[in-house]
Order: sequence, then structure tokens, then C-alpha cells
Amino acid sequence: MNALFQSELRKLIYLRANWLLLLWSGLFAALGTVAPIVVLNSETQGMGMGFSGTSTPEGINAVFANAAGGYLFALIMGILIMTNEFRHGTAVGTFLVTPKRSTVLVAKLIAAALAGLVVQIFSFLIALTSGLIALTFFEPHSPVTGELIWKVFRASALSGIVLGIVGVGLGALVKNQVAAVTGAVIWTLIVEGLVVAFVESIGKYLPAGAITGLVDLDFGSNDFNFSIENYLSPGPAILVLLGYAAIFSLVAMRTTLRRDLD
Amino acid sequence: MAEIKIEFKNLSKQYKDVLAVSNFSAQVVSGRVTGFLGPNGAGKSTALRCLLGLVTPTSGEALINGGSYSDLSEPIKHVGALLDSRGFHPGLTAMQNMKVMASASAIDFSRIPELLKLVDLEHATNKRTKGFSLGMKQRLSLAIAMLGDPEILVLDEPANGLDPIGIVWLREFVKKLAAEGRTILISSHQLAEMQNTVDDVVIINKGELVAEGSISEICKGKTLEEAFLDLTLRRSA
Ligand SMILES: Nc1ncnc2c1ncn2[C@@H]1O[C@H](COP(=O)(O)OP(=O)(O)OP(=O)(O)O)[C@@H](O)[C@H]1O
Ligand SMILES: [Mg+2]
Repeated sequence: MNALFQSELRKLIYLRANWLLLLWSGLFAALGTVAPIVVLNSETQGMGMGFSGTSTPEGINAVFANAAGGYLFALIMGILIMTNEFRHGTAVGTFLVTPKRSTVLVAKLIAAALAGLVVQIFSFLIALTSGLIALTFFEPHSPVTGELIWKVFRASALSGIVLGIVGVGLGALVKNQVAAVTGAVIWTLIVEGLVVAFVESIGKYLPAGAITGLVDLDFGSNDFNFSIENYLSPGPAILVLLGYAAIFSLVAMRTTLRRDLD
Repeated sequence: MAEIKIEFKNLSKQYKDVLAVSNFSAQVVSGRVTGFLGPNGAGKSTALRCLLGLVTPTSGEALINGGSYSDLSEPIKHVGALLDSRGFHPGLTAMQNMKVMASASAIDFSRIPELLKLVDLEHATNKRTKGFSLGMKQRLSLAIAMLGDPEILVLDEPANGLDPIGIVWLREFVKKLAAEGRTILISSHQLAEMQNTVDDVVIINKGELVAEGSISEICKGKTLEEAFLDLTLRRSA
């Protein structure tokens, strides 16, 4: 198992595409905090979205909650870990070395959890530092508290682990790399966002909704129709996320164990 | 003493509408090179994939040392395989691809340069396999098959894409391995070449066993090509 995990790590580290993806996640992360800081402090005061500027705790919360927003990259990482094997026919070699497919899957799930964690911690750190730097241009501002940082870090780390695992399950199910990644992007950036925004009763149980619940920060915006009260509290949110990890691990196992390979 | 190393027992594999392998039985013994011959679509690759646990047989079994491939612990230390699919990542170098495989079975990396030299790929050690020619890919696959220093080699059309020098080299290489007592099962279309390489022959057509025996028993004074055409055309007529 240890040897197999090492082999999975090598695949991760050797592939340039993975480093490129990490770079993109950093860029996305920096934008995630810097852009709202600039917008919130622009003359139109939050572009009429009802956010207060960064002089209030709610404004700071709204900005730094985004530091947990890079989980799409963790999801893509998980998808790539699985679908690379089918896309390039390396699954054959992998299963020749280790015919016990469940063992391979466990190694992949652990590798994906780790990769997702790394992506999200990296994103979080970039988002946090670039946000703090951007804030120095808009003094005075409400403080960025240790509690806030901890809440966002917690959500980043857990969502990275969970979505890395979900990615492996999705990849095993769909097999086609382009389809799986495209589907994941459309789902995360469009469908899920709409459901979370407009059908809160369902949205709070979706990964994005659960992650918002786990971040547990009130943006305190009346006009924007957002209240953290409408989301799960951190405990249940963690359970929901772990539930997704469990379901998609099972999917990965089920779909890969007996499938013929060519 | 020659031992039975590979055994197909009433193996069948049904894909949706194709019976790729049909009640196929054959044995392969150690210390000899066995040619696995048959027309396109005869079921050779499918039978080998069943043997290697990549494809689940519909019925029957394919055994290595009397057991299934998936029951071997660290199988690549017993069986080396070269299949017709690409088994490595185009974005990784030859060395990186081999390290990925070696590390999964805790095989020492010090073997890798040796093997790359053996297949004449030293110059491409640190090149990404994306730019490899067909022959170079085939050589790398062969090096990967030898990674665990296996006693059994299963090669699906290993001569594909090799230049004449490569083909001669491959012939001498498998003969030498067989002389060391190893078991070589090799599928091919190049019958003239196989005539000079193999000791035993297994012929399959439309998924069924057509003939099995030593090369002299099968050829009966004719060339392997003539014997093969006789056997496969007569049966399918
Ligand atoms: N994954 C698959 N799904 C459906 N049919 C398949 C699959 N793999 C092989 N077949 C069919 O099974 C039959 C045997 O194919 P196989 O690849 O085993 O033949 P082969 O003897 O290796 O041929 P070749 O000499 O061309 O490599 C063919 O009719 C082929 O179309
Ligand atoms: Mg074939």
C-alpha cells in the first residue's frame, strides 16, 4: 500500500499539467480576495450589492470567505488522477502491477485527498496574503481576526480533501477526461451556484452550500439576501461533506473493480 | 524440466455481440518460446488480457503457475507483459514512467538504466514519451515488461514497429530468455519471423483453438506461413 501510494505521488509530481493547475488555482485565489476588496471600496460602495466596505467586519468576512473558494481545482485534480489512467491507457500498467483494483483505488483516493488538500491550502494562503496586501491600500479597515482565518482555513482544508475524493469518483464514473472536467466546471460555476442562491433548501446540502455553512461567516447583508442562518452549522456541514466523500469513494470502487480494460 | 506455466482452460469471452474467445484451451511450458498465432480479430489479445486479469472471462479460466494472475503477490516479479495498448504516460519521460511502475512494486530504481540500455533507449532516458516513435514505444514497453526480472513473459505483438535490427535483436533476446528456463508467450503476425523464433505454436481462429504443438509438428515440412494459411483458411471455409 505504501509503495502504491508512493507511485501515485510520483505520477502527481512528474506531471507538468498538475503544477499548471496549481498555478491557476493560485491566480484564481488571489483574484478571489483582491477583486472584492477593490470593488467594495470603489465609489459605488459594493456596486449596489448591499455589502458594506472593508471597514466593517461583514465586509471583511465577505472578502475572506472567498479564500476557501478554490475547491473546483481540488475537484479537477481528483478527476485528472483517475481519468489520466484511462485517457493514456496507463490503467493497464497500473493494474498489471497491482491487480487488486480496490487497493489501487484506495491509494488513488488517498493521493487525491492529499492533492486536494495541498491545492486548497495553497489557494487559501495565496488568497489570504494577497487579500491582506490589497487591504493595505484601503486603510483603515476592520481587522482580519484569527477566528476568521481559522474558520476559512478549516473549510479550505476539508473541502480540498473531500472534493479531491469526489473527483476520483466522478472520474471513475465518467472515464472521459474532457467530459468529466467540463461537467465539473459547469456544475460548480453555474448550476450549483444557482441552486445555492435560489433554492436554499436544497442548496445548503450541496457541496458549495455545505462549504459555505462550514465557513460559518456572516456577511450580514440585508439587501443581498444572504444570511448564514440559512445554511447548515459547521458540525452538520462537515458530516454532509464527509458523506459526499464516502458516496463518491464507493462510486469509484464500484465502477472500477470489474470493468474490462483495453 | 519443462513445466506448465500458463494454462487456458475452456476460456470464453463474450463481448456484447462478439464471442471473442470460445472455449479455448492451451498450455504453455517453461524453457520454450511459444508463438500465439491467429488472424486479425482471432481473439489473441483478448485471451492474453484474460490471462493478465484485465478482462473478466465469461467462463473458463486462464492460469499462471496454476493460479490466477490477480492472486500473485507482486505479479510483475513473476510475469512481464507487453500489450498492444499504450501503457505509459506521454507527458512523462521514459525514466519517470519506469519509476512510476517500479515504485508501485518496490523495485529498485538501479535496474532502470540497465534496462533502458538493454532496449537501446539510453539516449531517450529523459525524453518525454510523447515524442517517441512506434518502435521506441515498443522498446520502452519491453523494458517495462522486464522490470521485475520475470520468469514468464507475455508479449502481444512485440515486433510491431521494430526495425529489422530490432526484430533480430528481439528474436535473440527471447531465445536467450527461454534458454535461461523462462517462459515466453508471444503473439505475432510475422510468420516468417516467428518460424525462426518459436519452439511451440498455438493457433487460434475465431476464438477457437485450431492447432497446438511444436513447430515441427505444426509445419510438417511446410513453412509456418503455409501451415498457418492451411489451418486457418481450411477451418473458416
Ligand atoms: N473491448 C471490446 N469490446 C467489444 N469487442 C471487442 C473488444 N475487444 C475485442 N473485441 C472483439 O473481439 C474479437 C477478438 O479481438 P482481439 O483483439 O482479441 O483479436 P486479436 O487476435 O488480438 O486481433 P489482432 O491480430 O488484430 O490484434 C474481435 O472481433 C474484436 O472486435
Ligand atoms: Mg491483438
